[in-house]
Amino acid sequence: MLWVDKYRPKSLDKMLVHEEVAKNLKKLVTEQDCPHLLFYGPSGSGKKTLIMAVLRQMFGAGAEKVKLENKTWKINAGSRTIDLELTMLSSTHHVELNPSDAGFQDRYIVQEIIKEMAKNRPIDTKGKKGYKVLVLNEVDKLSREAQHSLRRTMEKYSASCRLILCCNSSSKVTEAVRSRCLNVRINAPKEDEIISVLEFIGKKEGLQLPPGFAARIAAQSNRSLRRAILSFETCRVQQYPFTNNQVILPMDWEQYISEIASDIMQEQSPKRLFLVRGKLYELLINCIPPVIILKRLLSELLKKLDAELKHEVCHWAAYYEHRMRLGQKAIFHIEAFVAKFMSIYKAFLIATFG
Amino acid sequence: MGKGHVVIVSSSDDEDGARSRSAKWCSSKSKSLQSVSHRNSRSSKRARLSGSGSRLFTESRGGEEVSFDALYDDFHEGLQGFTVVSGAENRNTNKLWVDKYRPLSLSELSVHRKKVEVVKMWLEERLRYYTTVRRMPGDKVCNCVLLITGQAGIGKSATIHAIAAHLGARLCEWNTPTPTLWQEYMHNVNSGVRYMSKLDEFESFVERVRKYPLLPLSLTGASEKPVILLIDDLPLMNGRVAYKRLCNCLFVLARSTQIPTVILITEYAKVESGDNTTLDWEELQSSLESAGASKITFNPVTVNSIKKILSRICKEEQCNVTVEQIDQIARSSGGDIRHAITSLQYFCLRPGLMHSFPLSTLSTSHSKEKLEFGPLDDGFSLLRGRDETLSLFHALGKFLHNKREAVEGTGFGQDHFLLKEKLVRLPWKMDAPEKVLSQAHGKARLIADFLHENVLDFISDEAVEDAWAVASYLSDADCLLSTHLSGATSPQVITSKYELENIAQLAAASVAVRGVLFGNSHPSPSRWHSIRSPKLWQVEQSSKRNKTLFARNRFEACSSLNSYTMSVTATELTPALKWVGLKASEGQVTQEFFMSSKMEIDGSDWESSDDLDTEAMGEDDNDEIEEW
Repeated sequence: MLWVDKYRPKSLDKMLVHEEVAKNLKKLVTEQDCPHLLFYGPSGSGKKTLIMAVLRQMFGAGAEKVKLENKTWKINAGSRTIDLELTMLSSTHHVELNPSDAGFQDRYIVQEIIKEMAKNRPIDTKGKKGYKVLVLNEVDKLSREAQHSLRRTMEKYSASCRLILCCNSSSKVTEAVRSRCLNVRINAPKEDEIISVLEFIGKKEGLQLPPGFAARIAAQSNRSLRRAILSFETCRVQQYPFTNNQVILPMDWEQYISEIASDIMQEQSPKRLFLVRGKLYELLINCIPPVIILKRLLSELLKKLDAELKHEVCHWAAYYEHRMRLGQKAIFHIEAFVAKFMSIYKAFLIATFG
Repeated sequence: MGKGHVVIVSSSDDEDGARSRSAKWCSSKSKSLQSVSHRNSRSSKRARLSGSGSRLFTESRGGEEVSFDALYDDFHEGLQGFTVVSGAENRNTNKLWVDKYRPLSLSELSVHRKKVEVVKMWLEERLRYYTTVRRMPGDKVCNCVLLITGQAGIGKSATIHAIAAHLGARLCEWNTPTPTLWQEYMHNVNSGVRYMSKLDEFESFVERVRKYPLLPLSLTGASEKPVILLIDDLPLMNGRVAYKRLCNCLFVLARSTQIPTVILITEYAKVESGDNTTLDWEELQSSLESAGASKITFNPVTVNSIKKILSRICKEEQCNVTVEQIDQIARSSGGDIRHAITSLQYFCLRPGLMHSFPLSTLSTSHSKEKLEFGPLDDGFSLLRGRDETLSLFHALGKFLHNKREAVEGTGFGQDHFLLKEKLVRLPWKMDAPEKVLSQAHGKARLIADFLHENVLDFISDEAVEDAWAVASYLSDADCLLSTHLSGATSPQVITSKYELENIAQLAAASVAVRGVLFGNSHPSPSRWHSIRSPKLWQVEQSSKRNKTLFARNRFEACSSLNSYTMSVTATELTPALKWVGLKASEGQVTQEFFMSSKMEIDGSDWESSDDLDTEAMGEDDNDEIEEW
């Protein structure tokens, strides 16, 4: 088991970060009826951990007995029936799923599946909550229609069903949904918080941490706790005992993107563009989300770029990121960005060096 | 002329199966009967041309046997000649001009004079040989088969008929019987008639021809008339076996026949039949040639001779069609004179249409230019035009190679906008891209993918700006293509939105193609490029596969009550698991996950996508791990 999972706090009391939020949530859950919740914040900040802890607080240990279900839903949508296959985690008390996995058919998921689930109201025995909890991940990736029908579902079935929504950016969730939930923002943990978590894990694992080592990992983690713990474990696997000058490796795909960036800086030609395309394909094969590729590529390029070009390059990156969301095939847009960058950079080189 | 005796080989449908089994040479003296029966056997095949109208004609004018018997003597497809059959009267009959203005004599043929001459010489020679020498025992005629190929409607059969009439030879034809319907078959089975495949019929026919070449002569009594055997329509064969049989059959025929035999093969434009039938035809031709058949290829009829004939018909029919219109019809017919005449008749049928077209407002030269440069907005010419088809790859090649005129064309004349220097492009050496697209029947998505995959090869190495321009247009096209995803997706809306989507598709294809054409202002010097199929498809597939793999392993590997989202799994957990799994095999689950993922990745398209790089990367990883 990875340390990320192993040292995940199970209950609200044991939270190492966001203790304040945890305390409030506990009060909320134990003392009153729970409203719909919307957790948002950057990735690796502990949203899911909090959600699991809340569930445990609500339903006790029963919420931890989950099984993985790969269920095919037959949805009758007017003239035709749609088969949707969706993976979900469920216990007797809650169901967790990623509706955005269904792609553009997500609205059916939201409408039908949630409706059906919400209808099966658990029997209200003593000491049990009279509702089920539905955990929806990546709500911000849902389409407008899906979010719209989500709102209806929330109103209609609020008696028997509580929704816990989880997303990175609340700005992509419609106002209507947001106003029906209790919004909980989970900040990215501060670096010293991360350090303290790492030290805690180190102590539990019985590891000797040289001074400043945890700080370096934390600095590289981009304030993502998950990231920090993962690279901590990676370092442990690479070399133990730790040395002070130990390299903390970035993820392999990040390395690969920086390779691509240096390829782009080296030469600007259609041929090179073709080579870059091949490398981008490889990232896509490994399911690295295109948005993340573009973001990372931009930051790698910016590192090496003259200050006067930065603004323009950022503009085009934003432009093509938007395009990518509108479009279907990400490679078209990433490639267009790369080509634009090449063209800008080449013009710049010619202007400065003749 | 006009006295030729037509001998009909009727191998008929299965309705009269008895006849078909004993299909024999039959000829009749009675001319009217002859022509009627002839019509019946032909009509099914040529229904699209004559339909019931011609039959009507036969009946209504039964009295004037002589005049139309002459017509029917040459009942075949070329239409070059015209007989004056009292114009005004004919106007009202429902006869198709194609049949009405069949060429009757050699002079009326619009096939090139030399070609006709060659065929005539060949036939003459064979006939002389046949009539004089054939009775000498032991003498063998070696080369008795003539193969005539060419595209549809250029007068292959008409030539043969005209020549036969000219030489006074009798024409024996093989007419492919009409296909049997299933109901017919069922009906016949009940009545005890055995089904015979068309190929079987053909084979038995060939067999008979070979064995009893003199039979018809003795039957008719007119023994002095030489006979030419015409095989106009080869039976359609499906599959290798049938094809082999036909091949053998023809081969044997070519080897052993003693009567001059003419085989007509219609060549279809290569792209029209997507399957390999064209290949088969070519093979068939070569096998026939190897059997000693001589081959003559007919070329499409030239525009000028089509024009000549069309204007003659116009004169006969007393319809006033302007020179330009005839010119247009002739041009758009693509050398197919049958088509040209049919469209002329259609055109004259609807005079209202003709007047509504504002052709008169255009000067002659301008209308011609319009035809060449902007055939899209020229709905008039499309109305009658023969649509040419293009293969997808041909179209892609056109777009990618981006051939342009060397100098600025003068064709645009008035509609010349003032453009910035860098936006000006030379005119294309092709039709409007949309037209090419519609000819290629390409789906927008497909076109965009192909262009995206291949366009970089065609951009010269210096021109990164062009690469950007192209890439940006392709990105626009992609956005257009996915409009239906962002919009409402309920099925009811889809049906009503169908039109809209269709337009988006067209627009996307247009943007992609025009973007590629415009953006690539510095095409690399033309050399051989093979067009690859988009690797994107492969990438998408393997990405999908990996995704399901991740999804499957997401739970087991992390073994928590937490389901990670896809991006987290791909970007953070999997790489970490790879590291951890390599060294420390603490958790059985992680180990398994790693193994399976590794295997899957090896099995997938990693290596094919970028062999060297992946390997280099993999080695790097391993090296660094082993150092510690």
